[in-house]
Amino acid sequence: MEIELSRLIEALPGLVWTARPDGRADFVNRRWCEYAGTRPEQAIGHGWRSAIHPEDRDRLLDRWRAILESGQPGEVEARLRRHDGAYRWFLFSAAPLADPSGRVVKWCGVATDVDERVRAEQAVRAREAQFRSIFDGLPVLVTLMTPDGGLDLANRHFLEFFGVSLEAWKEGWPNASSFHPEDFPVVHEAWRRSAGTGERYDLEARRRRADGVYRWMRLRGFPLRGPQGQIVSWCSLQTDIDDAKIAEAKLAAEKRLLELVARGVPPPVVLEALCRQVEALAPGCFCSILLVAPGQERFLVGAGPSLPDSYNAILHGKTIDPGYGPCSLAVALKAPVITADLQKDSRWASSVWPPLMAEHGLASCWSMPILSSAQDCLGVFAIYRCEPEAPTAGEAELIDRFTNLAGIAIERAQADAELKAREAELSQAYRRLTEAQRLSKTGSFTWDVQADEHNWSEEIRRIFGFDARTKVTMAMIQAAIHPEDAPAVEAVIGRAVEGANFDLVFRILGSGGALRYAHVVAHRIEEITDRPMFIGALQDVTENKVAEEALNRARDDLAHVARVTALSALTASIAHEVNQPLAGIITNASTCLRMLAADPPNLDGARATAQRTIRDGNRASEVIQRLRALFARKSPATEPVDMNDAAGEVLALSSGELQRRHVVLRTDFTDGLPAVSGDRVQLQQVILNLILNAADAMGGVDDRARELLVATFRDEMGHVALSVRDTGVGIEPQNLQKLFDTFYTTKAEGMGIGLSVSRSIVESHEGRLWATVNEGPGATFSFSLPCGSGRAPGENPGARTTEGKAAARQMLGKT
Amino acid sequence: MVKRKLVSVVDDDESVRESLPDLLRSFGLEVEPFACAEAFLASASLQRTGCLILDVAMPGMTGPELQQELNRRKHDIPIVFVTAHSVERVRPQVLQRGAVACLFKPFSETAILEAVNTALGKG
Repeated sequence: MEIELSRLIEALPGLVWTARPDGRADFVNRRWCEYAGTRPEQAIGHGWRSAIHPEDRDRLLDRWRAILESGQPGEVEARLRRHDGAYRWFLFSAAPLADPSGRVVKWCGVATDVDERVRAEQAVRAREAQFRSIFDGLPVLVTLMTPDGGLDLANRHFLEFFGVSLEAWKEGWPNASSFHPEDFPVVHEAWRRSAGTGERYDLEARRRRADGVYRWMRLRGFPLRGPQGQIVSWCSLQTDIDDAKIAEAKLAAEKRLLELVARGVPPPVVLEALCRQVEALAPGCFCSILLVAPGQERFLVGAGPSLPDSYNAILHGKTIDPGYGPCSLAVALKAPVITADLQKDSRWASSVWPPLMAEHGLASCWSMPILSSAQDCLGVFAIYRCEPEAPTAGEAELIDRFTNLAGIAIERAQADAELKAREAELSQAYRRLTEAQRLSKTGSFTWDVQADEHNWSEEIRRIFGFDARTKVTMAMIQAAIHPEDAPAVEAVIGRAVEGANFDLVFRILGSGGALRYAHVVAHRIEEITDRPMFIGALQDVTENKVAEEALNRARDDLAHVARVTALSALTASIAHEVNQPLAGIITNASTCLRMLAADPPNLDGARATAQRTIRDGNRASEVIQRLRALFARKSPATEPVDMNDAAGEVLALSSGELQRRHVVLRTDFTDGLPAVSGDRVQLQQVILNLILNAADAMGGVDDRARELLVATFRDEMGHVALSVRDTGVGIEPQNLQKLFDTFYTTKAEGMGIGLSVSRSIVESHEGRLWATVNEGPGATFSFSLPCGSGRAPGENPGARTTEGKAAARQMLGKT
Repeated sequence: MVKRKLVSVVDDDESVRESLPDLLRSFGLEVEPFACAEAFLASASLQRTGCLILDVAMPGMTGPELQQELNRRKHDIPIVFVTAHSVERVRPQVLQRGAVACLFKPFSETAILEAVNTALGKG
């Protein structure tokens, strides 16, 4: 039996041991020894203790002592060292063995390997702890609720936010009063609906924090369902969105204000709206905006919608005095001035401002200068409170941002005002310009050649007869041009496409058949390099043109008068020229008759005298012809003129006169000069004038020879020139220019038209006429003409370009 | 005193110098032309001249100047002035200085013959 029992014990699937009533081990089975790697005697007594994990030993021994004292079965878990040194969890169970009297005589124990179970339990606990820490660590308020809304579980943030323990909450925390009274009905209704339908909810509401402050929260909830789909609980997530909510409100307010500014709403409206926005964002504040006009030493009330009118009235027009109050000081310092407690602020001790504040029930004032982008002070943004308070960080930021906005609004308003003033100025300048264009009959334009874009002023449209709304095109312009001038205009347009400037006179044929003369001058705009773009002016020169034609007629008349006057001076000499051959003719004729009447008739003599008669007759006839040509009044004609021939003829007519005046004539004609193109009679008139003037200048000279030198030559420009040099009284240098003025004369009988007519003739031939003082006595008058390209005056050239500048000037009556 | 019958013509105009001597010769007069006053003064004919037909306007010495020169030299030659200038103021001046006549060109055959005869008659 003993052996049988012993074998049984050894066979049990556990570590078996027995102990005496005092707890000392007196037996361990083989399995124990195998597990622990010890001999039985090493485990006997207290030896087994060393195999218990040190961390578990005290707890196990305490428990063991308690079991021993209780005399009742008990168990404890602890780690037991295996033979290889690894510890495994065992459940140590002990039960007393008592004698019939109930006295414990022995303790029997079994240690069962529970390592896997314990470790699994530990793992579960660790996960639970992990879950808990996550649950608590979530930056949101998380709760689990029973399906009927009762609180089941809440994370740390939730409990901290409300400042309450889970237990306290479960025991009846007033859930309803944790919401803002305005929001609770909404929240309650949302919950009721979700609880009914199982739909998740998502809403915003204010909840009272532990410190009594209401914060905006976003509340989201969703149901957790069991295997059958039934709702087992609700999970609620709450996020504090108060900061975002305020930032959003600020942004929205800023956006509204900026929209007002952008729309150009009048500044008083914008500033009042600004005040109201700030008052809405910071309850208990009264806002004021004072403006400082540039260069002014006074405040003007910009807005103060919630301040008493009587207070605003005092500030309006108030002189800026840094000793008076914080707003003035803020302007002076260009820095914020905070008066948190009016009564304790020594800066205003001697000012009348504090009593005024007190009278209106105000206790603090925070003044912020409104600065422009150029750091000029535009005004002050001030916040008043009825309680002595300094701005919180949030309020300071709010003030900062809205002061900035006020600056933008004021600057915008100022810019608007400036813009309006400039617009008004511009439109007035435009009106004046239009008027000036109307008066001067000069229109202006720009022309984008490639795009056929014509930007025309009113006046140029009027000249062309185009109305203000018509879009001008090149085709319209071309249609309005006189057909005779069209080729010249086409040529100009052709060159303009390549960027050439132009200056042109042409005729416009109006729709009613009215003819207008226009002078256009245009220059390419240098700044625009990629395509030809012109800016120009077009003047209606019709009146000038008409006047010029009248002038031309008057000049022709004058020239004729001058010619007749000059020729009158020659009358005596011309009579001499004619009488001389007449005397010969009559004498010869008489002689001839006598020779024929003689007996016998002297036929040879008669023939000779008759021949002389004919010769003298021809001579007289030539004089008459020359004279007739000079006296005749024909319209100017252009022909090639040989200067030597022309001068020779004039000298032939005037030689008698010169001789009569005891003037010694010398000529120095250059042979082979090219012909000039012009009006022969007009040019001869000039030569005659110069010769007679020279003779006049020598009229009083008795102390020296009266010498006249007429020379022709080519000047340094290659032009054909003629000069008449005398030894007369000469010219005072200061009179050199006046000489050519009409009606300027030094002669008692002169009309003073000779030289001015001469000059106008020469210039109309594109030549020039000038006078020089001789080194010796007398003066020299000369004129030169270009070879072969001359043009007689009065010819209508139609259109011309800048190449004929002198002629263009003449056309415009500027000569 | 030898009758001086020579008629001298002083005129710068060639046609006069050609035509007038021929006409006067056809009346049997002896005529000698000169192109200028200086040539006449220098010539031997000065002494023989009974009538001087003298142009007024000439290059160099003019007709009236020659008249004065002759007066200065005490050559009492009757002078018939001829001039193509219809200038009236020369006429009384030369007549006052003793000229026989002052004819304006063109003159008639009768007028010149009458003046020459008067001059020769005086001589």
